[in-house]
Amino acid sequence: MAKKKQSAETSGPKEFDVMSYLRRDLFPHFLCPGCGHGIALRALMWAAHELGLDKDKIAIVSGIGCSGRLGAYVDANTFHTTHGRPLAYATGLKLARPDLHVIVITGDGDCLAIGGNHLIHACRRNLDITCMMLNNEVYGMTGGQVSPTTSQDRYTTTTPTGNTEATFDSCKLAEAAGASFVGREVTVQTPTLKNLLKDAIDHKGFSFVEVISDCTEIYGRKNDLGNSPEMILSQKSQMRPDSYGGVIVDEPFRPNALPTGVLTRSDRAEYGETYRSTMASSKKGA
Amino acid sequence: MAKASTKTNAQNLQGNNACALAAVAAGCRFYAGYPITPSSEVAERMSLELPKVDGTFIQMEDEIASMGAILGASMGGVKSMTATSGPGFSLKQENLGYGVIAEVPCVIINVMRGGPSTGMPTRPAQGDVMQARWGTHGDHQIIVISPASVSEVYEQTVRAFNLAEQFRTPVVLLIDEVIGHLVETVHVPDPASLDVVDRKWADVAADKYRPYEAGKDMVPAMARPGDGYRVHTTGLTHDESGFPTQDPETVDRVSKRLLNKFDPHRKVIDHFEELNVKDAEVLIVSYGISARAARGAVKQARDAGIKAGLFRPVTIWPFPEKALVKAAKKAKRILVAEMNAGQLSLEVERVLGRDRVSGVNRIDGEAISPADIIDAIGKGA
Amino acid sequence: MRVAAKKAQDNKSPEEFEIRLSGSGGQGLQLSAKIFARAFSDEGKFVAQSQSYEPTSRGGLSRSDLVVGQGEPDYPLATKVDFMLILDQLAVKKKDTAIGDGALVIIDTRLVTDPPKGNFRVLALPLSDTAIGLGNPRVANIVALGAMVGEGNLCSLKVMETAIRQCVPKKFTDLNIAAFQEGLKLVSEKST
Repeated sequence: MAKKKQSAETSGPKEFDVMSYLRRDLFPHFLCPGCGHGIALRALMWAAHELGLDKDKIAIVSGIGCSGRLGAYVDANTFHTTHGRPLAYATGLKLARPDLHVIVITGDGDCLAIGGNHLIHACRRNLDITCMMLNNEVYGMTGGQVSPTTSQDRYTTTTPTGNTEATFDSCKLAEAAGASFVGREVTVQTPTLKNLLKDAIDHKGFSFVEVISDCTEIYGRKNDLGNSPEMILSQKSQMRPDSYGGVIVDEPFRPNALPTGVLTRSDRAEYGETYRSTMASSKKGA
Repeated sequence: MAKASTKTNAQNLQGNNACALAAVAAGCRFYAGYPITPSSEVAERMSLELPKVDGTFIQMEDEIASMGAILGASMGGVKSMTATSGPGFSLKQENLGYGVIAEVPCVIINVMRGGPSTGMPTRPAQGDVMQARWGTHGDHQIIVISPASVSEVYEQTVRAFNLAEQFRTPVVLLIDEVIGHLVETVHVPDPASLDVVDRKWADVAADKYRPYEAGKDMVPAMARPGDGYRVHTTGLTHDESGFPTQDPETVDRVSKRLLNKFDPHRKVIDHFEELNVKDAEVLIVSYGISARAARGAVKQARDAGIKAGLFRPVTIWPFPEKALVKAAKKAKRILVAEMNAGQLSLEVERVLGRDRVSGVNRIDGEAISPADIIDAIGKGA
Repeated sequence: MRVAAKKAQDNKSPEEFEIRLSGSGGQGLQLSAKIFARAFSDEGKFVAQSQSYEPTSRGGLSRSDLVVGQGEPDYPLATKVDFMLILDQLAVKKKDTAIGDGALVIIDTRLVTDPPKGNFRVLALPLSDTAIGLGNPRVANIVALGAMVGEGNLCSLKVMETAIRQCVPKKFTDLNIAAFQEGLKLVSEKST
């Protein structure tokens, strides 16, 4: 399926140079030293490069938070929208402009808390949008408050005695809601993450990718998790490069070992095409 | 006043349906909405009409998503609309503000019902006048239009799209439940005969284009994704490049451009009806269905020898204050008739001072009748 | 100029008038109003049709009003009705100030047990019984249309029949036309 492949003319040099996909004049960037988000963005651009996407046809839609600020650095059509709503904006954009590669960059708070309703309905609807959710377990931009993915017992500025709430497994949520492509990866496995994102973008339908990112500066410090290399290596050690159906099915919430890789893939009909073909045939019939 | 003709193309059309037909005629090709009484007929009709013109209809998961989706579609270059009522309008406010600051053309229909909160879903009210003006946070300008008949719903929906496109702004159509559900005999114009405005598209070289740099008309040209401009759009305060800034001097400049954007265009934006205002000693100020009652009351009062007049703002925000000052010159009393406890009357007081102004108000879920206004005219005499 | 509600002497339709169709939700009053509106506008008149209903689809007070004239009226809502239909006791108010002096009020003998009183003419007709006789109690609203047009001389019968054909589902056309004619008969029998 090469539906998203574009002519190589505008796809940049063969060797991947991340800077050729970024708005260099915005540098230095705003990310804290050690933040995993930059690695995720690099992997995303790398995937776009290998797929040969035309920058003019890429639309990055992001929400609010550290993740939301990433879009501005991409040399494409970028839309920095409101908190929790990038999937809603992206839905309108994709339906109005099926020719665009619509990629949503969101965070755990943006996507799972304030924007949770849009996530489940985007999964159900199965419009051809790729949603990359950066999970750093915390609201970093606002100073380090608890999020729906904060691990239990972890300290944040609003859980001074440790987090007592259960955490979301966003991939299980997306799968249950009907997403036709679900995957997860850690940032330290950058080539693997790039391949996962390539598959996600190439997938026809709604694809959801959770990237386990790290907030070293706020969350790491508060919980004594060490510096960035320690954090991302520890994240890797907590993952199982596996898919669902293994030993962890009896853990209702975030298990100790999260599976990574492609967790769900189905060829369920893409919504935009379904809508357009149904309307076209009803027009003919009328 | 329109005379019904014997032409056979006359049809009996409901206000909400007229709104949907006009939207499509004005070039709307994307609708996102969420069911809410008393506006749902707009969505139902759009779901039928849009596929006929290769447009897209979607019922979103909530009101917030609907507002986000129409902004997304419009940023993609497609004219878009949503419809709601008070509770849903409240939910849309944050994204409406995004439309204001990012200058995204779109049309929001609010068919007003009794409130606050769930209020009276099937009963009319005009309680969202101030919400429409100030609902989203921060200093901003917005265009709000209130039609008073089914044929005017059609006209003003087309006009709402034209204003949204010309000035790159969200435009709100405040329809009350009576007008939304009212069926009237109308002659729907041939869509080909309508003046339809499209937004100004960027046509300079990509390296010369600054997304928020405006000329004399204060309205920047918009870039369409895919046309090679690769623009950044954000709800953060941004400079002419489109990227965020917090430099006080820049923020002051770009904010003032946004706040004063409509000033050079008031002749196009302002729209009002006057009836017997020249010598009016009692001036009724009213809009929507209440203005229809006022029209009847003014004529009855004139028949009884009372010098009554009507000033009906059709564009209620920005408020046509110059025209009102002129219309109220001879008036000893100003009566503001509206189905709320006094909202537009605050603006009328601001413009004319409090001494002469009083309200004719109903908040019981019933429309103001001509008799209510006649009574109020009589009381001060 | 509002005409008196009595049968027009010269057998011509009145120029300006207000109609109220009232009863309970599910009785088809909105459809009756739509048929009326269609017929009047087909005759070149201007119609303003409004409704009042409760937030349920069935049961509860339902009413539909028509303000009919030669152009867009200043006020499109009914204030003093000239012709009124009451299909349910629910719609009877003790003192109904919306009914104009001399108005014609048609009520259903079966469903309206305590008719309104005032300076107007009440005509009790077996509308729902007639509909039951036709095999479908749901066409009482169309029987009522026949009675109102016959007694009030509201518009030409041909135009009404065309409007009915345009507004009701095809498979029910014959039933509805029959119901309309039965309604006409109810008032013509009465006056002879």
